[in-house]
Amino acid sequence: MIPTFEYKVPRTLTEACDLLWQYGDRAKVIAGGTDLVISLRNGLIKPELLIDITHLPELRRIEERNDSVSIGGSVTHSEIVSSLIVQTYGRILSEASSQVGSPQIRNLGTLGGNIVNASPAADTVPPLMVLEAKAKILSKEGEKEIPVSSLFRGPYQSALQPHEILVSISFKKLGQDMKGSLIRLARREGMAISRMSIAVILQKKGDLIEDIRISIGAVTPIPNRMKEAESLLKHQRYDTDLLKMASEKVSSEMILQTGIRASTPYKKPVVEALVERAIRRAFGDTQ
Amino acid sequence: MKRILKLNVNGEDLEILVEGHKTLLEVLREDLGLTGTKRGCDLGTCGACTVLVDGRPWLSCLTLAVAVEKKKITTIEGLAQNGKLHPLQNAFIEKGAIQCGFCTPGMILTAKAFLEENPHPSEEEVKRAISGNLCRCTGYVKIVEAILSASGRESRGE
Repeated sequence: MIPTFEYKVPRTLTEACDLLWQYGDRAKVIAGGTDLVISLRNGLIKPELLIDITHLPELRRIEERNDSVSIGGSVTHSEIVSSLIVQTYGRILSEASSQVGSPQIRNLGTLGGNIVNASPAADTVPPLMVLEAKAKILSKEGEKEIPVSSLFRGPYQSALQPHEILVSISFKKLGQDMKGSLIRLARREGMAISRMSIAVILQKKGDLIEDIRISIGAVTPIPNRMKEAESLLKHQRYDTDLLKMASEKVSSEMILQTGIRASTPYKKPVVEALVERAIRRAFGDTQ
Repeated sequence: MKRILKLNVNGEDLEILVEGHKTLLEVLREDLGLTGTKRGCDLGTCGACTVLVDGRPWLSCLTLAVAVEKKKITTIEGLAQNGKLHPLQNAFIEKGAIQCGFCTPGMILTAKAFLEENPHPSEEEVKRAISGNLCRCTGYVKIVEAILSASGRESRGE
């Protein structure tokens, strides 16, 4: 049984920000509820007030701008999957949303929730990291735009303040010469939490890797880009030996962040193999 | 704290006085007596509590009832029309796709929404569509057969 709370459905962002300002950490924002309702039931959180943000128009839109795409915080994974705009300009995110939970979870769960819940295994986060996505945050103090990468403090700890709302996520449209590749490892394809995921966006120029962005999910406490591997590959001729060296940089970074764990003998070779595979796919190397 | 909820369940507009913090699953089963919707894991993993909200498969155990006010909710009780079973219900019976029956309501509702979007699916597509509905009897083969046999039936007027 869930303990009692007040429930409000603001119709404007101003109203929502006012409520959050007034209640602070005594209030919780609810969108899909797939994580929040479980925490309520387990007594992990006991808010006085729940603020339902699923009726705020600004949070429900997917918009195409000149050179960017913006997705509202309470857009669901199902809506992302069926959006032509996201499929065209940020396919790697469509793919990630299509892999979340089950059809039912995708109908409820939102992009904003996936980020703010701050699970290390959040499916959309590695793609957002390589899309270099930005988050628009609003509170009574004003509006700010910050990189999605700065929204994580630790496992299940978001850097969002209690009085702040994640309004939307935006990213630059990917050019025709930029290819994404996403690999997700879990016990099964459906209804299983990700154990490891690799997101790569690669810009190709002939046989050169003009630019590359790599992020790994579920194996580090907070998401981050694999900068050492990226700089090793950037502006270099595509080469399998180089790929191997880069994948070893990724596994060393993983171990640096987590220490040697019981699962490391498995994870090290697997993360290396999957990073190589993801880069090969993004480069179009079908060998 | 009780509050008045306005819900539309199986085509009927209802105003009910319930504790404001109840889940949709609790309101359906405990306040409306619609026990066809099952409580399985209560964590959103098993799909036994699936209902349709505005036509889409929805986990009623993870949904607060207040969050679906003014939306159209369909439970398994709302599928038969004028005493006639829905083609999917008939298909489940004909193919023997029901063992203990606990997953059946959620399974049928998920399949209904899926077939409306994709009336002529492949076997693989059916399997993906029901990936959020667990059958602990593991009777998946017959469930997939039933959904495939129901697909296109409505357009054939059966």
